[in-house]
Amino acid sequence: MNTLPTASIKSLIFSCIASTALAVIILLIAILPAEYNIDPTGLGEKLGLTVLAQTHDEGVVKPAVISCPDKADEKTVDDGWQDSVMITVPPRKGLEYKFHVNKGEKLEFVWKTDGSTLYFDFHGEPQGNTTGYFKSFKESNQSESSGTLEAPFTGSHGWYWENKTNKIVVINLKTRGQYKIKGLM
Amino acid sequence: MILTKNSFFTVLLLVFSSNCFSHGVDSNTAHFLTTTEGAAIVPFLYIGAKHMVTGYDHLLFLVGVIFFLFRSRDILIYVSLFTLGHSITLLFGVFSHININAYLIDAVIAFSIIYKGFDNLGGFKLLFGKEPNTKIAVLIFGLFHGFGLATKLQDFDLPQDSLITNMIAFNVGVEIGQCIALLFIVTLLGFWRRHKSYFSFAKTSNTLLMTGGLVLLGYQLTGYFTTI
Repeated sequence: MNTLPTASIKSLIFSCIASTALAVIILLIAILPAEYNIDPTGLGEKLGLTVLAQTHDEGVVKPAVISCPDKADEKTVDDGWQDSVMITVPPRKGLEYKFHVNKGEKLEFVWKTDGSTLYFDFHGEPQGNTTGYFKSFKESNQSESSGTLEAPFTGSHGWYWENKTNKIVVINLKTRGQYKIKGLM
Repeated sequence: MILTKNSFFTVLLLVFSSNCFSHGVDSNTAHFLTTTEGAAIVPFLYIGAKHMVTGYDHLLFLVGVIFFLFRSRDILIYVSLFTLGHSITLLFGVFSHININAYLIDAVIAFSIIYKGFDNLGGFKLLFGKEPNTKIAVLIFGLFHGFGLATKLQDFDLPQDSLITNMIAFNVGVEIGQCIALLFIVTLLGFWRRHKSYFSFAKTSNTLLMTGGLVLLGYQLTGYFTTI
């Protein structure tokens, strides 16, 4: 196999030092600030690169849930519903919200976004199943949906919502029935 | 089908995109992988090919491997060894659920680029009098590249039914992607080789190859140590 015909120890050492130095400079000035918000030289911030890393944790909206559990003395939940929750889906992201429901028990639900249409997949995963198997009950693009699920098996049931728009979408989900809230996945 | 033409536009974003899913697969693909049931040959072919075409670490390594290969026959032998290596570990890794930390495996892949650059610079010959068997080296690094592919696919709970079909489709896709990428690399290197500058820049090229490997190594190791 060919290599450089004129290779010498001196030029090899030079190549190694040059490549290491260049790599360290690229990492310190550009990649670490932009990817991990690690900015030992301070140059990353001056160049505005750290903004990119911050969007990973602080800059963008994270999926959020504001829970309003129904208590007798609270009027926050509309009559008849057991739980009501506001779920924030960040732009161009997807998230899952799940309930544990035993086989044959019912989960009655109604959810509505603040107007935007979301892609969603309403599905269930059998308890203890690690293969990733799941059963899809409904998959569509809508801004609201309601119904009653009679769980075909014991396990985790809920929605995958995907926000394909560039703005935050808030979902209000109200539920009642025999279940345990697992929440945001 | 989730694989819309959007996927084509997310290809470029894939490179340094960081999202709630694992790195290396964009959210459309991720969603497809987690929601698909049963055999889906064409989508898996596509994901495999896309992974390879946009996998700059695999491509840099291939550039290093064929840099000093001038005969088509040699290119074919070395690329086949690389393919053999990564196919073994991709299939084995997924079937036996071997999941290595993605940052660490990507760091090994980055190291393979540094190794090849150093080898091309004649480093091993100069330091040890001879270079390690290059065919065995490419096979071993192929094995590591395959574990990288396996690890990324397993970040999703793949459905067990039709797993074999889907995995083979993904693997074939990887090879298609590799062929497409090689077509470009070999053509470009072929043009450049006609000029003297190819040889006068060989040292610079391989020094830059090592630089690329070192940058990726730093990137992956930082990722590893900041997420554990």
